[in-house]
Amino acid sequence: MSKQSRIIRKAMGYTVLLLMLLIIIAPFFWMVDTSFKTNLDIGNFPPSFLPHPATFEHYIRAFSTYGFGIYFRNSVIVSIIATLIVLVLASLASYAIARLPIRGKAPLMVVLLAISTFPEVAVISPLFVIMQRLNWLNSYQSLIVPYVAFNLPFAIWVMRTYFAGIPKELDEAARVDGAGVLTTVFRVILPLATPGLFTGGVFTFVACWTEFLFALVFNSSNNFRTIPVGIALFSGQFTIPYGTIFAGSTVAVLPIVILVLIFQKWVVAGLTAGAVKG
Amino acid sequence: MIAGYLMTAPALIVIALVTLFPIGYSIWMSLNTITSTYNGFQFSFNGLNNYVTVFQNSMFWQALWFTVTYAAVTVTLELVLGLLVALALNQPIRGRGLAIAVMLIPWTLITVISAQMWDYIYNGIYGVLNAILMSVHIINVPVLWLGSPVTATISMMVADIWKTTPFVTMIMLAGLQLIPSDLYEAAKIDGATGWRSFWNVTLPLLRPSIGLAALFRILQAFGLFDLPFVLTNGGPGTSTTPIAMLAYKAIFNDGNFGTGTAVAVATVGIVIILALLSLKALRTQVGEIE
Amino acid sequence: MVLTLISIVVPTLALSACSPSNTATAPTKPRSSGAAVTTIQWAAGTISGTGLRANLIHQFERLNPDIKVKLVAEANNTDTTRAQLSATISGGSTTPDVYLGDVIWPGQFGHQHLALPLSDYLSKSYWNRFAPGLVAGASYHGKVYGSPWFMDSGFLYYRKDLLARYHLPVPTTWEQLKSEAAILQGRHAVRYGFVWEGASYEGLTCNWMEYLADAGGHVFNSSGRPDMNTPQALKALTFMRSLITSGVTPSAVTTFTEPQAMNVFNDGQAAFLRNWDYAYSNSQTKGQSTVIGKVAVAPLPAFAGHGSTGFACIGGWDMYVNPHTQHLSQALRFIQFMSSLQAETKLATIASEIPTNYAVQQNPEVRKLNPVLAIVSKTHLIARPSQTPKYAQVSQAIYTNINAALAGQVSPQSALQQANQQLANATSTNAL
Repeated sequence: MSKQSRIIRKAMGYTVLLLMLLIIIAPFFWMVDTSFKTNLDIGNFPPSFLPHPATFEHYIRAFSTYGFGIYFRNSVIVSIIATLIVLVLASLASYAIARLPIRGKAPLMVVLLAISTFPEVAVISPLFVIMQRLNWLNSYQSLIVPYVAFNLPFAIWVMRTYFAGIPKELDEAARVDGAGVLTTVFRVILPLATPGLFTGGVFTFVACWTEFLFALVFNSSNNFRTIPVGIALFSGQFTIPYGTIFAGSTVAVLPIVILVLIFQKWVVAGLTAGAVKG
Repeated sequence: MIAGYLMTAPALIVIALVTLFPIGYSIWMSLNTITSTYNGFQFSFNGLNNYVTVFQNSMFWQALWFTVTYAAVTVTLELVLGLLVALALNQPIRGRGLAIAVMLIPWTLITVISAQMWDYIYNGIYGVLNAILMSVHIINVPVLWLGSPVTATISMMVADIWKTTPFVTMIMLAGLQLIPSDLYEAAKIDGATGWRSFWNVTLPLLRPSIGLAALFRILQAFGLFDLPFVLTNGGPGTSTTPIAMLAYKAIFNDGNFGTGTAVAVATVGIVIILALLSLKALRTQVGEIE
Repeated sequence: MVLTLISIVVPTLALSACSPSNTATAPTKPRSSGAAVTTIQWAAGTISGTGLRANLIHQFERLNPDIKVKLVAEANNTDTTRAQLSATISGGSTTPDVYLGDVIWPGQFGHQHLALPLSDYLSKSYWNRFAPGLVAGASYHGKVYGSPWFMDSGFLYYRKDLLARYHLPVPTTWEQLKSEAAILQGRHAVRYGFVWEGASYEGLTCNWMEYLADAGGHVFNSSGRPDMNTPQALKALTFMRSLITSGVTPSAVTTFTEPQAMNVFNDGQAAFLRNWDYAYSNSQTKGQSTVIGKVAVAPLPAFAGHGSTGFACIGGWDMYVNPHTQHLSQALRFIQFMSSLQAETKLATIASEIPTNYAVQQNPEVRKLNPVLAIVSKTHLIARPSQTPKYAQVSQAIYTNINAALAGQVSPQSALQQANQQLANATSTNAL
């Protein structure tokens, strides 16, 4: 490759990079920007670039009038509990699949992964009927249990690769020291596989945080609504309170952006190791 | 070894209870006329009647056609754009780390939020998209992006592509980085540069990544629900109603549990066929487990 | 003001509060004497006046110490509420005991046993308190399923400052409205003449019913067959389309739901607005309107030669009882209280909603509250064809085709043909 073409390639790289950043960030900017505008300002055309005057009113309304705090609390509870359960169950299962002799591993993994990508609508009506019989509608478990089930396969798929990468000698050493299988997994192997836990954890958390259909159908009561449902139903018949919607949205986006930026390395690792290498 | 089965059992049981069993129950429901009475649901077996109703209904075919077109267009564009961006970024340039960090943000975004955001951007009265296009004189009067079937469909596709392309890019980028650089060196010695080395080295080795991303996205596209629920509510008319929304409305809005479930089961049937067709791509992945 | 109203109401209160409870012939456990308190759940969406729901519950609990009412918030989105209630109740849930639902639900909810036939449990005389036409609208196959709570209908809002400045009368015919709007646009007084709800959704069915009835047309004929492909319907649709082609109405109207139309009007960009009763107070709210003090309201116009007042589509919300409730007698007492003079007066005072209780509607004190309540009795009401469990499909057949014609995608003639065809399909048994 000549030096000239290398420079051209680099220039192209930077152009694409800048363009992409702009395209990704612009709508976000507009959302956050709008959340600080007054209602009159929001209805202006052509729209003003920056809010004048800036107002914090929508943030107050989102929490006071629209009860956004309840949605936020529910999303946090459901996502965290589901993620923890997924990590425990997936640790056990993926260790077993990576280490122990189990027949039919490969087809099992494929079936699991295929199921986890099924459209949710395929099971929505039977799950609704079952939840109703169990008296689970409008509860946290109505979301936690399906979220665990739908996210386990991918977590197992990702974590298995990490377990496979840990030298088997460690297991043997633990066994010589008299540790049982469970002790081996949780005391010896898991600490070495923390990147796998992070990856599985972040993917599960994001999936729970963003899920919509189950949350819409199973928890119709305002007290158990999660953020996605709350924000989807902010609009009334006669009003679309864009300012309040975007204030709530900004609050909902921030924590997860911070979380993902902290765990960025492991998300990327998850894409590489889990999805690509197989 | 029993320990192995015991350790996988909890996960498998949860998965089976929440996915496999309901899928079976779904099929059973779709074979019944389900009426709501003062004593709750009443099932009466009616064979394939619900499917006859569904397949004779033009709305089902319209929703299926919409879903298939939508999946084909968005997935293709996402793959092409994702690959292009990944190629551009797959070289030692500054700010790549930042770019990767930013690319993760749309992926973490709740679809409903992204839909509300685009709804405001597309707004026919005070939307910023019209303001921008008018200020550079691409259009002279505001366009009602969500007002006609074609522009509403395109608008929805754009919102989808915006949200998902970064994720596809990440998968592609990960795949590109796994290609050993000595392969390019070898190709160079054989006189292959630029496009030739792309066609002969990059693309074949990237095929598993592309296949996986495609399969994953196609399956996702068949579950399309959140975006139209907020952005268009399936309209104008029923022109942007995907199959999942048709099933949801039949079941929950109109109380047709039997026919609505039949729509869902029929969709899953189609999805399974698609998955089997893509199994080849998957098999390359699975091979390495053994 | 509130005080005077209450004082008018209180003497009649004793009457309205105890007489209906004798009429409840529900086969439930006798009212337990003593301290036993029953809690019933009431599902209701947000109503414009802050604190109205809590206020009414408080009032009811004071009058009925043996009942507590727990408010469950419904979604603000009508279709989502319908989905959630229909799914919950069809599965046999015993709660909510009482819920607030749209006036167009009796067909579906009666047919699918999602609502209790109230007429089986309440005396005939109970229904006399409601304004004419409302009980018929809440009925399906001869039984009444909903107890009307507040009603709504279409109104014409106009800029009184502009009409005065250019010496124009308040229009009483559609043709007059169109020409006055054009005059105001010609003088650059406003950007648009007339805005309304033309998006492909339920609200367009409401708008359409008004023009259709004004022109003398109907959706179903007397034997229940679709009959919308008529010269009357063509006249109505051609006129609506001409509003857009003449520039009086912006073409964007084909994507307008209530908030968009309201917003254009509040921005001072339109001379006339067709909207529901909330629009008056909305246009007079500081911080979201630039036309405060410049707005007045009138009944919708008619077509020239078709009388002096046009038809206004009925909307509003009824109280329904869950057929699985375990607290039937308490639920019935609650809905009777909610339609009483006292509760309905509060509804008008606190929330500016139009009361369904005829005596309250006619009360001069209530009519003084705002200009909309003052003209309620002048409107001619037209109901949507909701006496069918398939109403959702019926309405869809209407609004999708009308919308297509308004957008110019098809001619009015073929839109009506198509609509009639789809109405026939929608009402057949095999609809999805």
